[in-house]
Amino acid sequence: MSLRPDQKFDYRHVGYGFLAACALSALAFFGLLIGAILDVRQFAFSYLFAFVFFFTISLGALFWVIVHHAVDAEWSVVMRRQLENSACLFSALAVLFIPLVFVAPDLWAWMDPANAGNPVLQEKAAYLNRPFFWGRTLVYFAVFIGSAYLLRAYSVAQDASGSVRCTIYNRRVAFASIVPLALCVTFAAVDWLMSLDWHWFSTIWGVYLFAGAALSSLCVLVLVVTALRSVGYFKGLITEEHYHILGKLLLAFTIFWAYIGFSQYMLIWYANIPEETSYFILRNTGSWNVLSILLVVGHFVVPFLLLLPSLGKRRPGFLCGVAGWILAMHLLDVYLMVLPELHRTGFRPSILDLLAVLAIGSTLVAVFLKALGDSALYPIRDPRLQQSIDLQN
Amino acid sequence: MDIAGNPSSPLYGVGAEFASAVDLVRVAKELRAAGYESFDVFSPFPIHGMDKAVQSRRSPLGRIVFIGGLTGFLAAVALQYIPSAVIYPLIVHGKPFGFFAIPAYFPILFETTVLFSAFTAFIGLLMMIGLPRFNHPLFNWDRFKGVSADGFFAVIESRDPKFSKDETGRFLESLGGSNVTVIHED
Repeated sequence: MSLRPDQKFDYRHVGYGFLAACALSALAFFGLLIGAILDVRQFAFSYLFAFVFFFTISLGALFWVIVHHAVDAEWSVVMRRQLENSACLFSALAVLFIPLVFVAPDLWAWMDPANAGNPVLQEKAAYLNRPFFWGRTLVYFAVFIGSAYLLRAYSVAQDASGSVRCTIYNRRVAFASIVPLALCVTFAAVDWLMSLDWHWFSTIWGVYLFAGAALSSLCVLVLVVTALRSVGYFKGLITEEHYHILGKLLLAFTIFWAYIGFSQYMLIWYANIPEETSYFILRNTGSWNVLSILLVVGHFVVPFLLLLPSLGKRRPGFLCGVAGWILAMHLLDVYLMVLPELHRTGFRPSILDLLAVLAIGSTLVAVFLKALGDSALYPIRDPRLQQSIDLQN
Repeated sequence: MDIAGNPSSPLYGVGAEFASAVDLVRVAKELRAAGYESFDVFSPFPIHGMDKAVQSRRSPLGRIVFIGGLTGFLAAVALQYIPSAVIYPLIVHGKPFGFFAIPAYFPILFETTVLFSAFTAFIGLLMMIGLPRFNHPLFNWDRFKGVSADGFFAVIESRDPKFSKDETGRFLESLGGSNVTVIHED
C-alpha cells in the first residue's frame, strides 16, 4: 500500500545529509585507524566511550518500546515508530562493536596474560574469562537485536495490514523481553564498563547505566520528533500535550538518575571499604573531580530546576534545549565512566575521543535516516492511534 | 423556585439541574462569561474539557506545600549540620564532619522534605476544603442525591459578589436549568 506524503519521510528534507553522514563516518574512521596505530590504548578507551554513549541511547529506546507495549500505553503510539527506529540501531551497533574485539586486552586489562597471576583476578576467573565474556556479549546483542527487530517488524506489518493481531504479538514480545533485557543491561554494564577495573564492584552499576540510558533516549526522541515537526510532519498529530508528557518523563528520569547515582555514591562513601572506594577516589581527585562536580550540577541540578515548572515543558523549543543539554551531560557521564581508567593522573582530552563520537555518531545517523524512510513515520493503522492523537493531560 | 434546607438559616446558594454533560460544560462557560466566580458544577463522572470551561483559579496549595517542604528541609539542615559541625565535631568511621559530611545528610534532607510536604499537603487540603464536617448544605437538596447516578448540577454560592437570589435563579433557568432551588444551610 502507498503512504500519503505526510506519512512518509522525504529525503529531500535532509538534502545531501545522508551522503554527508556517510562521508563524515568514513573520514572519522580513517582518522581513528591512524589514531589506533599511533596509540592503541587511547583508541580503545575513546572508542568504548563513544560506543557506550550511543549504545545507551538505543538501549533506552528499546526499553521505552517494550514498556509501552507491556503497559499498553496510549499516549506514545504516535511517536513509537521513532523509538523503534532508534532501537533498531542495535544491528549497526553490533557491527560497530567489532573494533573493540581487536583491542580487547588493551581495554580490559584482565584479559592481559601479564595480569593472570593476580590473586583477585584468579578469584573472579570463573566469570572473567575470555570465552564466557565473548559468549555473553553475543547473547546481549542477540537479545537486543532480536527484541528490537521483532517489535519493529510487527509494528511495520500493521501499517500494511491494520491487523490488531500485530499489537497482541508485540505485547507478547514485550513481555518476553522484559527480564532478558534487564539481565542483559546489567551484565553488559558489568562486562564492558565495570570490568575496566577488575578490582572494583558495585551492585547498582547496571541500574545506573540504565537510568542514563532511559533519560538520554527520551532526549533523542524529543530532538527527532521536533526535527520532523520542523520540516512539516506530525501536523495535528503531535501537540504540546505530547511534549508535556515527554517533559514530565524527562524530569522523572533526571530525578531517577540522580537517585541511583547518589545511592551508589553514598553507600560506597559510607561503608568506606578500599575495594569499593577506588572508583570514586580516582574520579574525585584533581581535574577529574572538577568534571565529577560538573556532572552532578549539570546532569541533575540544572535540568531539575529547568524542568520543575510546568511552563517550559509545553514548549518544544525549550524542551529541545534541555534535551540537548542532558545529552551533553550524558556524554560527560559516560566519559567519566571510561576515560579515568586510562588517564589515572587527571583529565587529558584526546582528539580520538571526538573522532570516535563522530565516527559512531555519523554512522548511526546514516543508518537512522535509512530506517526513517523505510516505513511510515508513525504507526498509521495502530488501533490506538486516534486516542494517542487526542491526548489530554 | 423551590427551597431546600432550613429557610431561617443563612443562604448557601442557588442550584439547578441540567440535562447532560454537554449542557453542563456550556453552562459552566456561560456562568464564567457572566462574571460569576463562586460557582461549581457536579456530575456523576469527570467531564472532558470541564477544567477549561470552569477556569478555576490555580490552587494556592502548591505554594503552601512548598513552604512546608522548605521547613522540613531547613529543619533537617539545622538538625544535622549544627550537631556535626558545632556541638559534636567528631570524626566517626574516618569520615569528615560539618559540611564535608554532606553525603550522609542527603537521605534525611530528602525524607524530611517529603514528610513535611506530604503532611502540609494533606492537612492543608483538608483545611481548605473545610473537612471534616458533618453535613454539607447541598445535601439538604433532595434532588442533589442524583449526582452520584444521573444528575448534572450547577450551583452558584451566595458568597459570590454578583449573587442575588432571584436574578441568579432566573439566570440559571434561562440557561436551561430545571428544578431551580434555593439552598439554605441546616
